[in-house]
Amino acid sequence: MKKFAIYILTIAMVLSIACTSFACSSETETAPTPTATPGGNVLPKESRVQLATTTSLYDTGLWSLLEPMYEEEYGVELDILYAGSGIAFEYGRNCDIDVLTIHSPADEATFIADGYGVERIPFAYNHFVIVGPADDPAGIAGMSPEEAFATLAEQQSSPFISRGDNSGTHSKEKAIWAAAGYNYSDITSSGAWYVSAGKGMAPTLLHAGEVGGYTLSDIGTFLANQGDLVSLVDSGSIMLNVYSVIEISPTACTNTDAAHAANMVEFLTSDEVQDLIDNYGAAQYGQSLFSACFGNEPTE
Amino acid sequence: MVPIIETKNLSQIYEGRQILKDVNFSLEKDDALALIGPNGAGKTTLLRLLDLLEKPSSGQIYFDAVDVTRSGKSRLRARRRMAFIHQKPIMFKMNAFNNVACGLKFRREDKKNVRNKVEQVLELVDMNDYRKRDARTLSGGEMQRIAIARALVTNPAVLFLDEPTANLDPASVSKVEEILARIMREGKTAILMVTHDMAQGQRIARKIGVLINGDIPQIGSPSDIFFAPTSTRVAEFVGVENILPGTVAGKEHELAIINVNGVNIQAITDLAQGENVHVMIRPEDITFTKTRDSSSARNVFEGRINKIIPLGPLTRIEIDCGMPLLGVITTRSASELELTISSKLFASFKATAIHVIKRV
Amino acid sequence: MSDLWNAFEEAIHLIVSLDPDVMGIAWRSLWIAATSTAICVVICLPLGSLINFNKFRGKHLLLSLLQTLFSMPTVTVGLFVYVMVSHSGPLGMLDLVFTPEAMVIGQTLLIIPMMLGLVISAFSGVDKAIMETATSLGANRSQAYIINIKEAKFPMMTAVAMAFGRAISEVGASMIIGGNIKGFTMTLTTGISQYVSMGMIEKAFALGIILIFMALLINIAIYLLQKQRNYVWFPS
Repeated sequence: MKKFAIYILTIAMVLSIACTSFACSSETETAPTPTATPGGNVLPKESRVQLATTTSLYDTGLWSLLEPMYEEEYGVELDILYAGSGIAFEYGRNCDIDVLTIHSPADEATFIADGYGVERIPFAYNHFVIVGPADDPAGIAGMSPEEAFATLAEQQSSPFISRGDNSGTHSKEKAIWAAAGYNYSDITSSGAWYVSAGKGMAPTLLHAGEVGGYTLSDIGTFLANQGDLVSLVDSGSIMLNVYSVIEISPTACTNTDAAHAANMVEFLTSDEVQDLIDNYGAAQYGQSLFSACFGNEPTE
Repeated sequence: MVPIIETKNLSQIYEGRQILKDVNFSLEKDDALALIGPNGAGKTTLLRLLDLLEKPSSGQIYFDAVDVTRSGKSRLRARRRMAFIHQKPIMFKMNAFNNVACGLKFRREDKKNVRNKVEQVLELVDMNDYRKRDARTLSGGEMQRIAIARALVTNPAVLFLDEPTANLDPASVSKVEEILARIMREGKTAILMVTHDMAQGQRIARKIGVLINGDIPQIGSPSDIFFAPTSTRVAEFVGVENILPGTVAGKEHELAIINVNGVNIQAITDLAQGENVHVMIRPEDITFTKTRDSSSARNVFEGRINKIIPLGPLTRIEIDCGMPLLGVITTRSASELELTISSKLFASFKATAIHVIKRV
Repeated sequence: MSDLWNAFEEAIHLIVSLDPDVMGIAWRSLWIAATSTAICVVICLPLGSLINFNKFRGKHLLLSLLQTLFSMPTVTVGLFVYVMVSHSGPLGMLDLVFTPEAMVIGQTLLIIPMMLGLVISAFSGVDKAIMETATSLGANRSQAYIINIKEAKFPMMTAVAMAFGRAISEVGASMIIGGNIKGFTMTLTTGISQYVSMGMIEKAFALGIILIFMALLINIAIYLLQKQRNYVWFPS
């Protein structure tokens, strides 16, 4: 039986080696240059960069475009973790990633103050919108964000789908409730109309569409995942949505790939990529989904 | 010559019951011993202890002069020089050939040698035609022969058999006995066989041991066991049904007069006058007649029949001659003699048919 | 409904055209589950033998514990392994977090109680006399264990098939440990989960069809193995 066990183990080993090299060759990412060793997934850490991204950047398809570009330019495999900002910060504190792209300014400041992030570099922005069913049963079209939220909270007749995941969008939603004069814990316990979805941006939009509810979304993800929803409230300074990139601090996390994290910053703020971001989606959706910062902190 | 197996004060307690008590036993390298005894006496337990399948509660076991009671390694080494045939043969989920080859494979025998040895031993048990058959599809007798082949292929120094033919049909029984007799004749392997069948013990073995109540009171040739049991326990077990307490009243050379309950019996013994003894007479050695015949028997007693028990072709007669006697007679003779309860009958037996032992 | 039908058609097309995305994900699921199962076999056969054939205090307790761990929630295992291999955890220096290798570890841990329990149960179907017969024929401990394993060949294979089935269809552990990274740690199950929640139904269907197909194969294998048992002929 020892023979049998060795036999099985050998088969398993051969199988996995075969599989990994096969899988490697069928990966959608362009095969990286010399630094990647053949035999696939057991690569040394230096050849892989872990990036946690807020879901809206992913759901718009922006990362699908940028990922192969980054990999080709810098010759590394980029591992993108689809995470709400809440989880992204957690990964950062656990030193499991090298760099983050999120849109939660207050939390970003705390993260850097706690020593986990190097600095906050904004690279794109857009606006939040409140979206809902085309027939707008709550009648919030054209209101200010604070008014709209108040209306929904009073009526409690139409569902509101919250991200519920401590993401940037979720933080913004909480900020609007506060601005409208509500205690957030009161809102969450006020009834079945308020749904904490616990999902990414596109899935939350999908959810809202299915139940005929309202939700808060960034304009980019909304346009790319509109479904039957329409934008009802799009004005107000509170609706500014800024995306930043933060490198994980190499002093807090000694294992972090600081070089490639720095490369990511350079990449995202490069003229080529900034132009790309600024025009992304224009052809398909009639307006670009993001505006590039071009080195400036957006205020509008 | 060093016995191949020897035990010193071997005891086994199982769930509070003492199965074996201080057994001192030895088996020579060319012994062929049948172990008989009543159910539950501990025969199978003894076999299992000697084959080192279990550890004894106390005492020592020596295999070829090496103490193998405790140490795992020496036990394995010793066990690999022995083999065990169970009453119910267990076949592995393989064909007959591979079953037989198992023992050799465990000992990491060379592949070529395995083939030769297995074929040889399959010939010996006349099962070569069945080598490719799934061993579990064989009949009971065929399985037992494969089990024997499996045991013999490793050339064991000792072969243990636990009632090997108890579950077999008569044809298979004789085939198996033939094989065992051959092994016994070759004298290369010591045989220790437990059997219920005293006649089988006599047929196959040269010596018989009696195990009663966890102890072995006697080991000897078949005639010793059956006709000269050294204790009442053994006598009772081997079918000496007349065991009478008495005292040696008079002695003339070897001939003794023994007083049993007032009746004087003449017997041959070395024991001295005044000794308390047990007188043992086998039922088969008693002759019944209607009249006091002039027979060569020194002992003739008149008595009244207490019981008549017909057992097919034979009939047991219990008769009171001042001392109770039990004998057998053919049922035909019984009807010819027109025997009934309380009828008068003479029982006679030779002095030489009596076995006398000290009474303790 | 026509949307779903279109999605389904698209899914078939993705499969038939051997879309590299979809095939890569399928292959990854396969090798991760296969490796986990193989490691589990190497651990569980000897360990199961030791547990089954030896008396020790607390044996009953251990067997009951295994039973309860059979259906241990996958996310619990995922959480445990993540905490272990995260850079903030004790095994952080191995850089295993968000890798398929860590997913193998997670799945292995997940299926060990199940395979162990099934292996031990398989032994219980073997006549106790087999152990003795083997011992009396001169087998040492491990040789005797191996004979028993061979005697229970079919139930053992069923155990392996069931463990593989559980491994390949779990999503909780893979999601948490692997991070569902597209092209690196996305498996059939985590992929379906992602694509459904993003409304990319055709991709979800494609992965789902493959997963169901694999599950079907496993179940057929288990069925055939179970059938084999009934061909054993026990002599009277």
